[in-house]
Amino acid sequence: MALITTESVSFAYRERGPLAVAGVSLDVGRGRILGLLGPNGSGKTTLLKLLSGTLEPSAGRVAFDGTPLTRMARRDIARRIAVVPQETHAAFDFSALEIVMMGRFPHLRAFELEGEADFAIARNALAATGTAPYERRRFSTLSGGEKQRVVIASALAQATDVLLLDEPTASLDLGYQLEIATLLLRLNQDRGVTMIVSTHDLNLAATLCTELALLQEGQLVAHGATHDVLTPDHIRQVYGVIAEVAVHPRAGHLTVVPVARAR
Amino acid sequence: MPAHVDAALPPPTIRPRLAATIAGFGVLAAACCLLAPLVGSTSISLGRAFDRTIPFADNVDAQVFFVARLPRVVAAALVGSSMALAGAVFQALLRNPLASPDTLGVSAGATLGAMIVIAFHVDASVFGISAVPVAAFAGSAGALAIVYAMSVARRHGTSTTVLLLAGVALSALLGAAVRFIQILADFTDTFRSVRWMMGALDVGSYNQVVASLVPLAVAFTAIFSMTRVLDLISLGSDAAASRGVDVRRAERIGLVGASLATGAAVSLGGPIPFVGIIVPHIVRLVVGADHRLVLPGSALFGASFLILCDLVTRTAFGPVEPPVGTVTAMIGGPFFLWLLFRRAL
Amino acid sequence: MARRTWLAAALLMAAGVAASAQARRVISIIPATTEMLFAMGAGDRLVAVGSYDKFPSEVDRLPRVGALLDPDVERILRLKPDLVILYGTQDELRAQLDRANVPYYSYTHRGLADITQTMRALGERVGIAREANALAARVEADLGAIRARVAGSARPKTLLVFGREPGTLRNVDASGGQGFLHDMLETAGGADVLADIHQQSVTMSTELILARAPEVIIELRYGRSDAEDPRDARAWDALPSVPAVRNKRVYILHGEEFVVPGPRVAGATERLARVLHPELRW
Repeated sequence: MALITTESVSFAYRERGPLAVAGVSLDVGRGRILGLLGPNGSGKTTLLKLLSGTLEPSAGRVAFDGTPLTRMARRDIARRIAVVPQETHAAFDFSALEIVMMGRFPHLRAFELEGEADFAIARNALAATGTAPYERRRFSTLSGGEKQRVVIASALAQATDVLLLDEPTASLDLGYQLEIATLLLRLNQDRGVTMIVSTHDLNLAATLCTELALLQEGQLVAHGATHDVLTPDHIRQVYGVIAEVAVHPRAGHLTVVPVARAR
Repeated sequence: MPAHVDAALPPPTIRPRLAATIAGFGVLAAACCLLAPLVGSTSISLGRAFDRTIPFADNVDAQVFFVARLPRVVAAALVGSSMALAGAVFQALLRNPLASPDTLGVSAGATLGAMIVIAFHVDASVFGISAVPVAAFAGSAGALAIVYAMSVARRHGTSTTVLLLAGVALSALLGAAVRFIQILADFTDTFRSVRWMMGALDVGSYNQVVASLVPLAVAFTAIFSMTRVLDLISLGSDAAASRGVDVRRAERIGLVGASLATGAAVSLGGPIPFVGIIVPHIVRLVVGADHRLVLPGSALFGASFLILCDLVTRTAFGPVEPPVGTVTAMIGGPFFLWLLFRRAL
Repeated sequence: MARRTWLAAALLMAAGVAASAQARRVISIIPATTEMLFAMGAGDRLVAVGSYDKFPSEVDRLPRVGALLDPDVERILRLKPDLVILYGTQDELRAQLDRANVPYYSYTHRGLADITQTMRALGERVGIAREANALAARVEADLGAIRARVAGSARPKTLLVFGREPGTLRNVDASGGQGFLHDMLETAGGADVLADIHQQSVTMSTELILARAPEVIIELRYGRSDAEDPRDARAWDALPSVPAVRNKRVYILHGEEFVVPGPRVAGATERLARVLHPELRW
């Protein structure tokens, strides 16, 4: 059974306003990596928030392992689904470890303090993302890539089945983009973490995802295996761009090269 | 020390640090509370003050200790504690280290309440409490209601920045109303209001102190129920929500708690500046950013800080005391500048 | 012929001097000087008064042109005064009157002796020197009589309070060792307990009240019916060790004349003397 499903889910930010997400139905199997693609304003971020339970659908429902999110307590959702946002800004001088420890919150009772086990999980997560040396560094002084990896570690410490990522490589330079992509693939393979990645980077999607969902103006245009969705026709339809899609001989996965604007 | 370790940040484990924070700041606060009433502009004999054989009505030393000084120290402790705590909470909720109890207009509301009573000569007093503090509290409650309504009316997706800006606008509006009334009022009343705005802890009796205990108890309970939640909220609403925090509810509890604390403090001692901004920062320098440490630390250190400032007020300047707000500003202002410099470098 | 011209010229000059020494359209925005003018019999020369002028009742018929903080310059000029009595600190108003070529008299508020000095100076300016000197002499005589009366008696340590929060002892404002209230107190035979503090106004902390331990406390009330509530005096019971409280020598005196350093100052001083020295027969 699919781990996360959405059934005709819609969302409008204002009552009777335009639908940011309109009747989207999709599912994600356990251990899969789904990519959400689409131009700006296509509803990717909104859909991601619906999937994490941060937003409540105006119509339809989102379910985790069969249970609608609206019927789950916030903490229960947090124990099953973690989110890695595009950017994390710490207003105060938390250390990297403290940021990761915040991921343990849903597993603790009301006034319970973290114990040895929690610290072990947190350090484990830091190690998994290669950020163990930064444990006592001030989070706000880390570089973009280091920060993003620490935030991923925080999500890992949350020990969830599902990881939702919003533009994980958007503001990172090439080296970090490669690092994050490699890390995510490894986490998926080693730990079996189910992932949903929202991105505008088609090549990242091609690298990372086994299946894709393509959105346009809030609607699901295509959903399926990567090579079925990432086609020149779809790209032209949704992005208005003529592109070449081919398997790259060295990389071993699809790459997308934009050629010209479609007329 | 290895280069990758930030020496300024404290070691991770919580439990011992919590114990150390409470013990350390607690001892300091207790010392201030015990020693402050012993010091003052008049020299008294403690022996005489505590001598039960002398009837209280004749015992000058006892009256200096128990009527002039002790209520003042208690008031300073309560006001300092609440303002520091409220400041820390506002800083976390608004994700802004420069936020203070004044930011959302609660202080301004209290000032307006006091101003109206002063300008319209409402000279009633209830249980030995003059109308001014009662009106100040009512004013702060009014401002709180407006801020609360704004927070509730926010649709999802509206950031906390909007709340902050709305609060700043409310604060400015209420401040303008205060100044407007000041201009229209009698000269003496204007002076009275200006003096009130500079803060004064010379309460002389326990009536006001006791009256403020109820809102303070509610406020402190609300605030200490959400210390860890404040850590998560300070990362962002979505970041907190995805980790299991009911952000809306937490914001409301935090707002109400911090505003109640501010309202009670301002009606007791006037809008004393800087305590709410400075104390949480000093505490963070010592204990780190974790709010489970910062909040108790701020409550305890806020008490100590204001007791000490009030001590300076009543001893360092001869028989005529400046308002305690000038002393907190003289200490707080330069420190704040130093803090900003340090961060910028 | 030359002698007659000389005489005519001298007469014209004298007339000119006499004419210029008279002010017939006077504006006074200061309650003290308004009272002085009325007491000198020159009340009919006033064309406007200040916002806070209350005595004598004739002032109610006159237009008001503001006071220390908000003088209505336009209105003042429109009334075409030939003398404006203003506060020494009102620089802006002075500058505007200079530009409009309107003569003014600059008043400064200081001690008891300055009151009669101002009366004389004002009398000169307005052109009623005779009446002014007579008034000043009367006031000085009355004050002298009070001084003589209380000379032989012991001077009680006195706290002269002119403001506080109703119902409590917060923000007690008392007269320091400077200013006409202090002078009045000393003239009336009291020893100002704050004489060493060289300020006109002192805000007292509870500890200071206890430390100074006054034997008499006089509270001055003026203006509106400031806490006519007799229970209000009981606020002082919070400090029973203060001799004034213990011996029930806390007095509340009502009256505008306590805060207007004008012709009624002798009467006000006598009222103070009566409560300070009830043992003398008044």
